Amino acid sequence: MPLPPTDPNAVFLNIPYDEEFQRLYLAYIVGLHELGLKPRIASGIPGGERRLDRVIALVQSCRYSIHDLSRVELSPVPPATPRFNMPLELGITITWAKLHPKRHTWFLWESMPMRLQKSMSDLDGTDPYIHSGTVEGVLSELRNAFVRDGAPPIQRMMRSYRLVESNVERILAEAGSRNVYSASVFRELCFVTLDAASSAGDEVQP
Amino acid sequence: MPRSVHITAPIEPLETRIKQLRIPKARQKQLRAMMDESRARMAREEQARSEERIVPEEKLQNASAAD
Repeated sequence: MPLPPTDPNAVFLNIPYDEEFQRLYLAYIVGLHELGLKPRIASGIPGGERRLDRVIALVQSCRYSIHDLSRVELSPVPPATPRFNMPLELGITITWAKLHPKRHTWFLWESMPMRLQKSMSDLDGTDPYIHSGTVEGVLSELRNAFVRDGAPPIQRMMRSYRLVESNVERILAEAGSRNVYSASVFRELCFVTLDAASSAGDEVQP
Repeated sequence: MPRSVHITAPIEPLETRIKQLRIPKARQKQLRAMMDESRARMAREEQARSEERIVPEEKLQNASAAD
């Protein structure tokens, strides 16, 4: 069976889909677009496939992936439960990258240094990027992880972030949704991010 | 140190990336207008902030000139 095509600029985002993560989610969208990359999320793909099948197809179609393992707390909603989706999707990705190392590269992200050694000791020897739970942390670490000649300065990325962030409520209201992770809202956030990046100056040139 | 990658794949043109999002043209227009409003508001706020910074500096200069 032929392998599915890989988009060399696509980045699969394996992140917690919850309200507290919204700002960092926006930061990932803005930062990746500013670096000429294309964020992809599982819910961003319309269609009725089983979620796990969508995730596998996404991983296979993306050249890179970011696995943000900063949400390790138990959910406050009873019954208190840890989130296993992100580690599961990381495991799927590691297997795919092991089988096809030239087709996929994955990155780990955390908000706290040293915590990963405790939460997932099998990953010892793989250093995560630490964003400290801040927008600026995500943006600056994206610049460190994805090195591109002519990458925009962090100030420009922050400006784009503020522009996009100021429109989130309106986009949600017009979509009749409270879910920033839904497919239609994700697409519109990508659109306004591209608009912000193009107005801030020429995009990065390879 | 976490690993990093040097990306050499060419960036797709903006129009291509926008097309891939499959947003109807009419909605694109609305979103662009929304962003234009935000940019104008942000520019006004930045202007106001820079004026606020200039005024105390001027006062300081005037005061030292009077001395």
